Amino acid sequence: MSDYTIIGKRMPRVDSRAKVMGKAKFTADLKLPGMLVGKIKRSPHAHARILDIDTSKALALPGVKAVVTGKDTNGTKWGVFAYTRDQQFIQVEKARYIGDEVAGVAAVDEETALKALDLIEVEYEQLPAVFDPMEAMASKTELIHEDFPDNINVHVNIDTGNVDENFEKAYYVREDTFVAPEESYFQAEPYAVMARFDHEDCLEVFCPNGGPHMKSKPLSNAFKIPLHKVKIKKVAIGGAFGGRSEICPADYICALLAKKTGKPVKIEFTREENTIATRQGHAMITTHKTGVDKDGRVLARETTCYMDGGAYSSTGPIAASVPFLSMEQAYRMGSVRYNGYRVYTNKPIRGMIRVHGRGFAAGLDTQLDMIADHLGIDPVEIRLRNSRQPGDYTSTKSFVSSCAMDETILKAVKKSGFKEKWGKLPPFHGIGIGTNSVQTGFPMGIRGGSQSFIKFNEDGEATVMSGVVDNGQGNDNMLVQIAAEELGLLPEDIHLVSADTETTSSDPGSYSQVSTFVGGHAVKIAARNCREKLFKVAAKVLKVGPEKLAARNRLIFVKDDPEKSITIKKVVRISLLNFNSVNAEGGYWPEVDMKREWVKNPYGQMCEAFSFGTTIVEVKVDPETGKVDVLEVTAAQDVGYALNPLVLEGQFEGSVAMGGQGGMLTEYHEWKDGRCINPTMLDYKLPLACDMPKINNIIVESVDPKGPYGAKEAGMSIAMSAAQGYSAAVSNAIGVYMDSFPLTPDKILLAIKEKNEKNQS
Amino acid sequence: MKKIKITLDINDKPFEVFAAPNNTLLEVLRDELDLTGSKESCGEGVCGSCTVQMDGRPVRSCLTLALEARGCKIKTVEGLADGDELSDLQESFIDHGAVQCGFCTPGMLMSADALLKENPEPDEKTIRKALAGNICRCTGYAKIVEAVAHAGNPREHCPDCKTKE
Repeated sequence: MSDYTIIGKRMPRVDSRAKVMGKAKFTADLKLPGMLVGKIKRSPHAHARILDIDTSKALALPGVKAVVTGKDTNGTKWGVFAYTRDQQFIQVEKARYIGDEVAGVAAVDEETALKALDLIEVEYEQLPAVFDPMEAMASKTELIHEDFPDNINVHVNIDTGNVDENFEKAYYVREDTFVAPEESYFQAEPYAVMARFDHEDCLEVFCPNGGPHMKSKPLSNAFKIPLHKVKIKKVAIGGAFGGRSEICPADYICALLAKKTGKPVKIEFTREENTIATRQGHAMITTHKTGVDKDGRVLARETTCYMDGGAYSSTGPIAASVPFLSMEQAYRMGSVRYNGYRVYTNKPIRGMIRVHGRGFAAGLDTQLDMIADHLGIDPVEIRLRNSRQPGDYTSTKSFVSSCAMDETILKAVKKSGFKEKWGKLPPFHGIGIGTNSVQTGFPMGIRGGSQSFIKFNEDGEATVMSGVVDNGQGNDNMLVQIAAEELGLLPEDIHLVSADTETTSSDPGSYSQVSTFVGGHAVKIAARNCREKLFKVAAKVLKVGPEKLAARNRLIFVKDDPEKSITIKKVVRISLLNFNSVNAEGGYWPEVDMKREWVKNPYGQMCEAFSFGTTIVEVKVDPETGKVDVLEVTAAQDVGYALNPLVLEGQFEGSVAMGGQGGMLTEYHEWKDGRCINPTMLDYKLPLACDMPKINNIIVESVDPKGPYGAKEAGMSIAMSAAQGYSAAVSNAIGVYMDSFPLTPDKILLAIKEKNEKNQS
Repeated sequence: MKKIKITLDINDKPFEVFAAPNNTLLEVLRDELDLTGSKESCGEGVCGSCTVQMDGRPVRSCLTLALEARGCKIKTVEGLADGDELSDLQESFIDHGAVQCGFCTPGMLMSADALLKENPEPDEKTIRKALAGNICRCTGYAKIVEAVAHAGNPREHCPDCKTKE
């Protein structure tokens, strides 16, 4: 047992009270005096040259205050990387997907703004469009971006050497292709942004932002104003799941309208806009070729993946790498070759999503099950024979320090009764296992670290400043827990100022699963530094050395003689009387290989820690309807150390819903000529309360040597492995290895029918 | 469209507002009365984020015209607590970790509150059915279902139930 008082406890979240009272303010809830309504005119064509835009009729409409088009911009192209700058915030020359931004309007009310959109006349010349990556690569028509030949946006090539030789040595080799279409985030909150320029000409922006510092830089570039004049403000965020870290063109358009009108402007997306014009998950076609020895150990693997990236780069190089990286972290491989192609198409932009590469990951595990089947080994055994171990280096040369992959497998197997059930369940009743690993951080250059400031107020309470974002996962509470633990205060004594570019230092944002590991760590160090200052003063009063002191429950006391104590409030006041304010800073920068680069050099230390997860799923399939009834899910993850089991369980359960129940059974987009035909909640099937099975959560702790209190990424390894577990269970139930996801009733019925026909012949 | 003056009974207080015949109850609550606890997420009656109660019944305020709500007792999330004192259900949501991003929470609470008023000890299946019209993308619903089951009804085995003194 630990001696922590607040860390490790099932502490209800500090932000919940405002949320259950309806007091928490999300962007759409905000209002400023004189505020105008902004709307965006979007391209109705998938690929079209913009010949002319006539805004005169819109501008003449009473109540319209401004119209902006590409002509109002300086034409700057934005991109996450220098080599992926391909997106203008308002298109100047051509539109590249149905929904691309063409113009913006600010008006006195929504009705007027919508009317004005219709009055903007855009003359287009339609161009041939491409809607799938294979077609896009082969296309001889006008490229989507002229400087990207064959419409290939990013090509990631990783090769550890000896792949072909090891295939020669392999006892058994097989090659299989797996496909999955696009999926979407469907955050509860539709995207919204409110912007204004204040009396000092500073740009203030409120929006659901996963990374304030990731947003301020492109806005500073686009408006050519210094970073300190861009204030991205904190507001409650209604979910992100990877889709809200980057700048959204609406942020810029809203700010531009605010600048032009001199008034605050708010843009609220419709549900359709949130689906089409933020980000989506990539559609992927993945071929895994795997060679194993007689015992099922992987000697060689070659994976080729084609990703439908949509019209612009977004986080292209990262997106083209992460599915592979999750695989190479989870499993040992003698040698591996990877070719990941992210291809431009005339479809909405794809970004990072909670289960990035569901078809990729589920395919890999399906193939592992096929190999085990061939060799007569059970699915658990083949995973244990290939699982990542502590002290290993991954194929791309990242050292893995803490790793309890095997423990997650064994505990999930025991809890679910896998061994007793495997091979013994009646027809159409199945069980399956998936395992995965997720990065705790990406190399993010100058934005890879976080810094925190803490100041004590004269009442003995503290203000903590940190750039960390809370998208809904509980990061605010995590920071408060850490600060309270280290300072010896109660959580209610901490006031958190976060996710605000004016007052907080640069931080990776809620990006790459690193908020606790880096941002939480920075708060921990700042709080320790602050505590040292308190102890110095208290030591004089209590007449002992500072090393003999501890802080808890608003008191500083002598460890060996707890009766000897002084309140923290008193210590702060004594310090002030001695001309010293009590404050401190602390920062944390993970030791990663700064030379590692997604495309040019994908080798070296990726991050300091990796999480590992196993999900086991038990299902029944109705052979008449193809409907899957999920009986029970057991999710186990090595989280390093559980800072708050209550919050962690919520992450596990949400991951099962999005990665497994939704991601593997019902969620996918359908298209007609580049138009998404199910962008709404009515058509896109999200899991409901009545759909969800019983979930057993198993928290495994490997206590990472670098993580704060030993903590690392928590939750996403479950989202990933849930996808694999669900597909494995369905395959097991129907006796067909499925290669197209999600596993909808039509696919299941077809698979059963084909199997029956094969058996009869 | 021309606005007319109507009186709405919201959280046991009368409010006089001007509403057009095509204004939804949600628009009037949020835009005219600054009761922004009720949220718009899908705008087409699917997600349940805008759920309020009319005469104790959960309704989608995005599909209800403001004019239809005349003469009904309307309750929104802002009316669940008694001043600063939270209802058992609200406390239970906090204690059981049923709130993550919090955007669906108000609607979820209004559906659950209506259920509990009708059936103070619903079983799990009943709760899941009653909440089937409220979409949550964060939680996987497990903690929400638990929070509703244990609201005002603390269980000994539950590590998150607070037993009231």
